[in-house]
This record gives sequence, structure tokens and C-alpha cells, in this order.
Amino acid sequence: MSKTKKGMNIQAKQQRSGWIFLAPASIMIAVFSFYPMVQAFITSFTTGTGVNTKVADPIYYNYMRMFADRTFLRSVGNTFLYLAIEVPIMLVLAILLAQLLNNRDLKFRGLFRTMVFLPCATSLVSYALIFKSLFALDGLINEIFVNLGILENNYNFLGNTGSARAVIIIALIWRWTGYNMVFYLAGLQNIEYSVYEAAKIDGANGWKTFWKITVPLLMPTIVMTVIMSINGTLQLFDESMNLTMGGPAFSTITMSHYIYNNAFGLGVGKFGYASAMSFFIFVLVAILSAISMKVGDNRD
Amino acid sequence: MKKKIVSLLLVGVLTMSAFAGCGKKEAAKDDAATDATDESGANAMYVSDDENTLTAAAWDANFNIPALKAAEKAFQKENPDFKLELIEQPDSKAIENAVTTAAQSGNYENLPDIVLFQDHYFQQYVTNYPDAWQDASDADVDWSDFGEEKLSFSTIDGKHYGFPVDNGTVIFAYRTDILEQCGYTMDDVTGITWDKFIEIGEKVYNETGKYLLSMDGDGNDLPYMMLQAEGVSQFKDGKANIADNDTMKQIIEVIEEMQQKNVLLLNNDWSGYTNDIQKDAVAGVMNGNWIIPTIKQVEENSGKWEITSMPTLSGEEGYASNGGSSLYITANSKKADLAKKFLAYTFGGGDGAVDTYDAALRDGGVITTCISAGKSDVYQEGVEYFNGQAIYAKIVEMGSHVKVVEQSDFHYTAREKVAAAITNIHNGQSVDEALAQAQADLEFAMED
Repeated sequence: MSKTKKGMNIQAKQQRSGWIFLAPASIMIAVFSFYPMVQAFITSFTTGTGVNTKVADPIYYNYMRMFADRTFLRSVGNTFLYLAIEVPIMLVLAILLAQLLNNRDLKFRGLFRTMVFLPCATSLVSYALIFKSLFALDGLINEIFVNLGILENNYNFLGNTGSARAVIIIALIWRWTGYNMVFYLAGLQNIEYSVYEAAKIDGANGWKTFWKITVPLLMPTIVMTVIMSINGTLQLFDESMNLTMGGPAFSTITMSHYIYNNAFGLGVGKFGYASAMSFFIFVLVAILSAISMKVGDNRD
Repeated sequence: MKKKIVSLLLVGVLTMSAFAGCGKKEAAKDDAATDATDESGANAMYVSDDENTLTAAAWDANFNIPALKAAEKAFQKENPDFKLELIEQPDSKAIENAVTTAAQSGNYENLPDIVLFQDHYFQQYVTNYPDAWQDASDADVDWSDFGEEKLSFSTIDGKHYGFPVDNGTVIFAYRTDILEQCGYTMDDVTGITWDKFIEIGEKVYNETGKYLLSMDGDGNDLPYMMLQAEGVSQFKDGKANIADNDTMKQIIEVIEEMQQKNVLLLNNDWSGYTNDIQKDAVAGVMNGNWIIPTIKQVEENSGKWEITSMPTLSGEEGYASNGGSSLYITANSKKADLAKKFLAYTFGGGDGAVDTYDAALRDGGVITTCISAGKSDVYQEGVEYFNGQAIYAKIVEMGSHVKVVEQSDFHYTAREKVAAAITNIHNGQSVDEALAQAQADLEFAMED
């Protein structure tokens, strides 16, 4: 028995080192992610604030309350509006850009790729603030539009419901298109060039090649970006918080922003209710991701 | 071999960065001036190991920070070893969030000895997190030397927690040159009804293109101040009082009329609001007197401003108070006795109070609610920027007329709902409907 170590076969050795490599990350995820999740779930069954926190009566009270909460329902509506408009536009743009930049004959490809990806490297808060100052009442956009004669007077973009939502969507598209494009680029580079050459010989035009070859072969990447975008949009926070403060009259507030308001924002400290709403988002993300995985799965 | 070197290097870099992350906080402890900041841009809070050093978290480099520096200097006269390390925060929210986080986790280690805290939030934080604070009732302070309205915020169940810093008395500052251009004097805008105010405002806008009043649309201090000037609150007996509140209804109607007639400019946010003031887009500013440093940043306008009281519905002079903050000792302070001694000696009206408040007034424009300290000579001086008017004496005088109105833990929630109602009315909803909705939303938020 004293020779156990020596007696270990290669497989056992590899397994052991595998576990050792996995352990640090796994422990950290467990401590910093899973443990808080469990705690948050327990918290979501409490009401009251601070020392007055008590177990909810009935236990699912917070989960019922949110469906009677007009502001929360409004924030759900807003978030889904962003999701429905922004994600399709962004992903189509990303795939088109990726297709363009994948062209072997294009000069300065690297430069263009970097430029499209660059917005992604800006911090969420600072880009929101930049958009805010661009669209401010006396901001650059107003200045340009008024000087070009498109607008007669300075328009309060962030003070009107429709335009404030539009600004948020434009900002999101600007920030995230390059990010998704990178995934598509990587996906495109995995497609053999000979497949396209064969298609060309068979007489397929660009449009057909795109739909019959590129899209099907990119499907796994598309599904992944769709899931990531849904996940990201449902958790949207910085734009609502920094660009519009959720205003005017809660018409741009997102779910995460409303959750923050309940926990910290107005000093109200309703952590139970805030946690319950977070789990509602969690369920939404799970359902939507499951649907997109099902739809994108083209194995029979 | 090459591969090995590369991977070793990588491992080295990774470990280094891991330790660099840990080291940040230590560095911040050694030197208060380091720029170790967390994600929100706030400086990390801490307590000092030195027995003569207190730490205090505060915001606003133009206002509160100079006041605290003045207090440090005043206290050093008798205690030369004393040091107050200031941890500057971007805004009051950073401190509120730090206290919430600490209290919620039951770990107060990341709080400083003293925090500056907004008056309207404090009661709620004592209700929610009583363990986060230390009772300061036994400090050597004559509490009756402070304005009653101010003290009502930091006194809970007869216990004194806070040391009042500034005074939130509302001023209405007008540009006298613009008024003159339109044929008005300061007397014409003092003690007037809101209807008369609108009449003047319309003329000012038509002749100069400037609004007579502006406000930020999202925080919305306006309805609160206008209500308080009438002696009415958004709450009654602990319940929301919006929809069946006639005064509230009239005020909301006035606000809508002012917007339609280009008398009032509602900006989207705070920075837009202060921009309006500094870019000469407005001829009048109404807010807590802590807005004075913001006005004064435009040097060319020196001598053109003067202050007076607010208009009201009835035409009497209106007085209100908005904002303001006090200093509190946190549960994390192990030097509470020193902190009490320091705060009592300076902000609490002790021997260093006149030095503290005089310097605070000169350097930051912080006006005291400490009655005896407000009698010093500095307060009687005329201020050049305000056309030689003795504005500080005037503010202290106006402050004595402010009515105490019912406060609530849900003060800011109420403001938010009323602000939404104002926006909805401006977009075409009827006043009754919008206020009923605000009432319902506020009641909902106030439930458990």
C-alpha cells in the first residue's frame, strides 16, 4: 500500500490533476455566486426592511405582489420593448458587418474590425453619459439638427417617452453590435472557403450562399448570441439608470433598475421584494433561452 | 522550454494581478489621498488606527467638505494632535449605499467614524438599521440652540443622533438686471401669488427669452417646497396625502400652467438644471440655500442677483426648507467619545462653533442652524455677489419662519410619484387622474 502513488495509472493521475485545476474556480463560483443565489432566494420570502424583516405571510407574498405592482409591470413592458426592437436589429447588423469584414479582398480589414469592436471596450457608465450629453437639450445632436433645419427648436430627446426609448435603443445597438460581430467573425472563419467555391461553381449567387450556407453553418453561433443578448437585455441597468433615470414618468425604466430602486435607490431597503423580482427575471431568462435553444436546434 | 517560460510568465502575471487587487485597500488605509475607488467612483471608506485621527465621509467639494475642514482646524486649536481625514464621495447616494450594504450584511468594518447623511433619509435608516448608529445624546451640546425644524430630522424617540451641519432654508434668487429690463423690482416679486408670478414670468420670457424658474424634472424638489410654504405635506397621519389634497392639486396646476407659459423650465436631470443656471438660461433660482455656490460659479454675474422669499397661493411670503444634512457617528467608530467631543465643540455650538461656522460660510457657503453661531459678525456682512445684500442674515431670519410639516420614511418615493404625475399631466393626462394614480402608486410602495 505504501506504493499507492506510484501505482496510480495514467488515467487516475490525469483525473486528479483535472480536479486540482478545476477546484479553485469551482470553489470561487460556489462561494461568490451560488451561495449568494441561495441566500437571495431565502431573502425573497421575507418582507419588511432592515431589522423589521420578517417571513412573508403568505410565504409567496412577494411573488404575488409584483403582479399587482404597476411600476414593475411597466418596467417589464419597457424591457421587452427594448428586447423586441434592439436584439433583431443588432444581430442582423452584426451578421452583415461580419460578412463584409470577412471578405478576403477587403483592405484595412484589421482596422475596420477594431473600429467596429471598439465601442465594446468603453465602460457602460461612460458611454451612457456620452450619449446623454449627445442627446441633451443643448447637445450635439440638437445643434446639428437645428442647424441643418431638420428641427426648428431644440428637442428634448430624453424628456419625451418615444425619443427617450429610441435613444436607449440606439445606444444599445452602438455598444453591442461589435461585440456580437466578433462571434460571427469567428464562426465565419470556421467555414471552409472551399464550400463557398463549390457553391460558386454550382451557380449560387451571394444571397443564396448567405441563406443556404452561411446561416445554417453559423446557427450555433447565432443561437449563442441570441441567448446572450436576451440575457443581457433582460438585465439592462446602466442605460436606464444613467441615461434617463428611468424617466420621464417611469417610461424607460428597466426591470433591473426598478429592482435597484427597491433595494437601494430611494433608500427604501426592500430586499425581500427586490430578490423576488430578481428571481422573476431569472425564470424569464431561463424560459426565453430554452425557447431559442429549441428553435435553433436543427438536429432532427 | 520556450513554452514553459511563457506559461511561467503567465502564471506570474495572474498571481500578481490577484495580489494587486488585495493590496488596494491596504494602500488606501495608509494614505487618504490615494485614488483607490470602487466601481461607483466612490473612495473606499475606512477608520484610522491612530487614536487622534477620525475619518469622515462626505460629498460636495464646494460645500460640505470646506465646512468639515473648517471644523478640523477649529478643533486643532485645542487639540493640536487631532486629525480629520476626509473621504470624499461623489454624492450622498454613495454614503447611503455604503450604510445599506454594511447594515444589511451586519459588517460595519467599511464605514468611517463619521458620515454626512441627508436629513430626509435618516429616520428611515434608524428605523431599518438601528445598530448602524451611535446615540449622541450625551454629547456636550445645548440642543435647544438649534432650529426646531432642522433638529426634528436627527432626533428619534427623544434620542439625538446627529449634529446639524447646514441649513436648507429655501431662497428665491432673482437676476435684478433682467427684472429691471422688464420693468420690475425685487419688491414686485416679494410676497406675491403664483398667479402674479406667472404674469411676470411670461413677460420676462417674451422680452428676454429667459425662464423665471427652472427645476430638475426627475428629483423634483418643486412640489415639496411649494407645499411646505403652504404648511402642507405629501403625508397625513402616516398615510399618503396626494389625491385628496386640495393644496397639492392647486400647486400641480400652477406647475403645469408655468410650463405651458414658458415660465418654468423642467430639465431632465440635475446636471441639466445646474447648467441652466450657469449658462444664463434662467432669471430666477428657487431652492435650498445650498444652491448658492452653484449660482456663484459664474463670476460675470456678480452683483446681479438678490434673494427673497417664495411666492405662495395666497400671496403671503412663503418659507420652506429643502435638503440639508447632518453628521452622524457610525457603529464602526471605536473613538465615539473623541467624535462626540469634536462634533460638540465645532458643529454642536461649543467653543469652536463660531470659528467653524464662520469659515464654513466663507469657504463653502454653509449656513448654520445653530442660533448662537448665526449671530456672529460674518453673518451680518453684505455679500458682493448678491448686490451687497446681507443674504446670510436674511436666510437665518427666513429659516425661523419655516413650518414643521409631516415627514415620512417614503419622502423620496412620494417625490418620485409626484414627479411622474407632473410629466403625465404635461403629456395630456387630467390632473385628477394623474394624482389618483400617484396616490395609488405611493400607497402601494408604502405597503410592506
